[in-house]
Amino acid sequence: MTEADDDLELLLAAARADFASRLDGKLCELQELSTRGDWAEARRAAHRLRGSAGTYGFPKIGAAAGEMEDILIDADLSPNDEAKSRFASAVAAARVEAEVAARGAA
Amino acid sequence: MTDAPRADPVFALGELVAETYEIRSLLGSGGMGEVYEARDRSLNRRVALKVVRPNIKRDYLLREGRALAAIHHPGVVTVHTMGEHRGVLFLVLERVQGLSLDRMIDERRGRGERFGIAEAMDLLVSIADTLSIVHRAGLAHRDVKPANVMLAPGGRVVLMDFGLVLPHADRAGHRTVAGSLDYMAPEALTGHLTEGEAHLLDIYGLGVLAYELLAGVLPFDSGDQTPDAHRAKSRSCPLLTAHRSDVPKPLSALIAQMMAAEPSERPQSAEAALWQLHAVRGRLGSEGPTRPFAVLVVDDDPDMRSALTLYVRAAAPDAEVETTGEGRHAIRSVRRRVPDLLLLDLDLPDINGIEVCMLLRGMHLGDSCLIVSVSARATRADVELLQQLGVRSLEKGPNLMTELVQIVQRMRPR
Repeated sequence: MTEADDDLELLLAAARADFASRLDGKLCELQELSTRGDWAEARRAAHRLRGSAGTYGFPKIGAAAGEMEDILIDADLSPNDEAKSRFASAVAAARVEAEVAARGAA
Repeated sequence: MTDAPRADPVFALGELVAETYEIRSLLGSGGMGEVYEARDRSLNRRVALKVVRPNIKRDYLLREGRALAAIHHPGVVTVHTMGEHRGVLFLVLERVQGLSLDRMIDERRGRGERFGIAEAMDLLVSIADTLSIVHRAGLAHRDVKPANVMLAPGGRVVLMDFGLVLPHADRAGHRTVAGSLDYMAPEALTGHLTEGEAHLLDIYGLGVLAYELLAGVLPFDSGDQTPDAHRAKSRSCPLLTAHRSDVPKPLSALIAQMMAAEPSERPQSAEAALWQLHAVRGRLGSEGPTRPFAVLVVDDDPDMRSALTLYVRAAAPDAEVETTGEGRHAIRSVRRRVPDLLLLDLDLPDINGIEVCMLLRGMHLGDSCLIVSVSARATRADVELLQQLGVRSLEKGPNLMTELVQIVQRMRPR
C-alpha cells in the first residue's frame, strides 16, 4: 500500500461513515413524503437512495429503496392501500438496516 | 471496394430505381459494386445508392445494410432502406458530402505537408471511437483504410463501406481473402481467423492507417503478400519516430502495437485503443500548455456526485472535476468546454440522461469525449440505445468504483 492508497482508503471510509450517519435522515424524509402523499418526490428520493446506498456499500438498503421505487412506478405514482403498506414496510426494513449501518460506522 | 476491371454500370444515369430514386451520377465503382448519387423523389433529398455487381453475392450488401441499421452513431453512415430493382438489390444510404482521408493524405503529400500530431490524434480518436461502437454491436468492419474514412463538414469523421462486415464471432467466410492488402493483417491473408477475433483485423487496419497518416507513407510495401513475408515485414517495420521526431513515443509505440503481427499482441479492443489514444492526447504537453484531465459529473444526488468525484480523483488526482445535478446545465457546460470524460446519471429531474446524450451527439458536442452513463436502473433497451449513441453504461453499486477507476486509469495513466 502506498501513502496515496492509504489516503484513499481513509477518504473512502470517511465518506462511507458520513453517508451511514445520514441514512436514517434520508429514510425519515421518505416517510414524510409518503405521509404527505408526495409520491413523485418519494419516487425520486427512493431512486437516489437506490443508487447511492448500493454504491456506498449498503446493498440491503439499496435493494429496499429499489423496492420502494418499483412499488411507486408500478402504481403509476398513485399507490393503493396495499402498495402504501408495502412501501411503508420497505422503509421500516431499510431503517433497521440504517441503524445497523450507523452503529457500524460510529 | 477492391479494384478490378471495370464492368458496365448496373444502373443508367437518369434511371428511376424502384419508382423513387433517380440516378444522378456514379460516385464510385469497384470490383464488387457501385455507388451512385440519386435523388429521392418522395422526400426530395440526395441519397447514396449502393449496389453489388450481379456476379457478387448479395450477402455482402445484405450484411452491410443490416450492420449499418444496427448502429446509430455520427461516425457511421445512416442506412435509409434496402430494395430491389430489376432483380438488383440496392441499399439506400445517407449521402455523406466530404473528402475521403486517402485523398486528403495524397493532397498533403503532394504539397509536401504532413498532418499535425493533434490533428491526426483527433482523426484517430474519432475512428477508434466509431470502431468501438461497431465492435460493441458485435461486428467487425474488416476493411479499415483511409479510402473508407470520409471527412465531412463540421469535423464529422465517417467510416464508410461496411461491405465486408462480419459478426466478429463468426468463422464463416474466413477462407476468402477480403479487404485491401496494404491494410490487411497477416492472419487475414491465411484466411484462418480465431473465432471472436475478427475485430483485431480492424485494430491492425487502424494501426496502418495511423502510420500512414503521420508518416505520409505506408509502413511497408505491398509487394510480397505471403503471410510469412507479411509477418516478417510487420516485425521489421520502422517505428514512426524514424520518420518524424515530433511523434510522441507513446503514440509511436501504440501504433506499432496495433500493427503487431500476432493478434494477441495488439490492443484487444478498439475501446482499449481509444483509451490509449485519449491518454496520449491528454499528454501532448510538448505541443502547448498541459491540459488538465477534465471530467464532468452529472447526477442529481449530491452523494453520488461526491462518490464519483472521489473515484475519479482516486485514479487521476490532478483531474479537474466539475459537477452538476441538471442535464441542461451539463449541456451548457459541454458547450463551454468539452470534458475528456462525462459521467452521466440517466434519471435527472429536468431532461433525462439519454436525451442529454442524444442532444450532445446531435450537436457533435460530445464526439471527442468519452460518455459513461451511471445508473441504478437502466433497462436493457436503455443500454442498447446508449450503446448505439456510443455511450458506455455502468451500474451504480458496489462495483462502480473499481470499474470507473479502471476506465479513468486507462484514459489517464498515473
